Amino acid sequence: MNSSQTQMDPTAERKLSLAEHAMVLVIICVIGLVGNTVATENTVPQGLIGMAVLYAISMVGLLLTEMIPIKLPSVAWISLVGIIATLPWTPGSEWVIAQAKNVNFLTLATPCLAYAGIAIARREIELAKSSGWKIFIVAVLVMTGTFVGSAFVAQIFL
Amino acid sequence: MHRTMEVVLDWRLHISVLIITIICEMIGVIAIPIGIGSILLLPLLYAFVLGLVINPNVIKGAGIWIKDADVRAASPLIVIAIMPFIAKFGTIIGPSMQQIIDAGPALILQELGNLGTIVLAFPIAIIVLRMGRESIGACFSVAREPNIAIIADKYGLKSDEGTGVMGVYVIGTLFGTFIFAILASIFATTGIFSVEALAMACGIGSGSMMAACTGALASAVPTMEEQILALAGASNVLTYATGIYMGVFVALPITEKLYDWFGRKDQPLKAGE
Repeated sequence: MNSSQTQMDPTAERKLSLAEHAMVLVIICVIGLVGNTVATENTVPQGLIGMAVLYAISMVGLLLTEMIPIKLPSVAWISLVGIIATLPWTPGSEWVIAQAKNVNFLTLATPCLAYAGIAIARREIELAKSSGWKIFIVAVLVMTGTFVGSAFVAQIFL
Repeated sequence: MHRTMEVVLDWRLHISVLIITIICEMIGVIAIPIGIGSILLLPLLYAFVLGLVINPNVIKGAGIWIKDADVRAASPLIVIAIMPFIAKFGTIIGPSMQQIIDAGPALILQELGNLGTIVLAFPIAIIVLRMGRESIGACFSVAREPNIAIIADKYGLKSDEGTGVMGVYVIGTLFGTFIFAILASIFATTGIFSVEALAMACGIGSGSMMAACTGALASAVPTMEEQILALAGASNVLTYATGIYMGVFVALPITEKLYDWFGRKDQPLKAGE
């Protein structure tokens, strides 16, 4: 059974080049724009500029991931760029904030989860079935544990 | 590598995602009242379910439309599709920087709360479920990609520990968004924790889980949306940055020590101990 070429190790990232990322991100942003137009009252031009701003932030973040030798996931760099671009003392931050406001945050997660649903491999379903109910219980407790644990500690120090 | 063009030009896949997105956004947020509060169903949750429904690995008949190649192409797109969302979160954190600095100590220390996975899950795994060394991999963290890397590096993914971390990873992938949406909805309405504390707890270190968690929290307390997103986003960035070090230097050593003390002694030790 060598037919299954899909790697089970999700840490084995497939390296896409910057140019490839740039292309794929355009598609993602178009889908995001349609979602945003359906979900919010914002007009297409408003959403378009907002998405373009988010696109630019993502690309700068990806650029930094390649250029800076510190090992951080690309999402960490992208958030950092988004943060720095909108700090009160960054010139032009008000414009960036105003444009990004026209894109609904929750809508942006919808396409991602659609891809995630389509990406579930046969092996993952088999693994879930074979690990059985014990691992399911543990997983629910693990997720509850990190959530309640963090809320608990935060509550003490707030 | 023909993979790239396959991914970019897989119109069947992108059209499917586009249609799913439109359907889900048209439905919008639905609140289901339960005794102590209400559970919020979010568009991203429907999107995941609809993705599963057209996945030929889940529903055989879906193979007419989505092929195996499309399934393979979808996988690298998850990470890229979350990028604009992460960028958007950055733009919410930036303007709230003063507020985040004010919440600084709580924000940094709540990262330690991630050890709650061990506190809650490990005793049950060992004492009630009588699990072996897979409980180490399963309980030391919330089992996202960086944590799998830690276990893969130390024990290999074919070990018992590897089975544990992969098990929780898969369950998290399949049900994580639902579980966090439910947790956030319930706690938002019970009032045990402040909304700020819950927002910080939403920074799990996974984009989609944070999306579900903050989405539910912000829909439950819409007047505090900006604040919720800023704190959750900041907490999530911290988890991205510190998660791997917490795992290697704190969480995994603690879990191993606990296993030495309380774990099952009636099974042979694995090679590479």
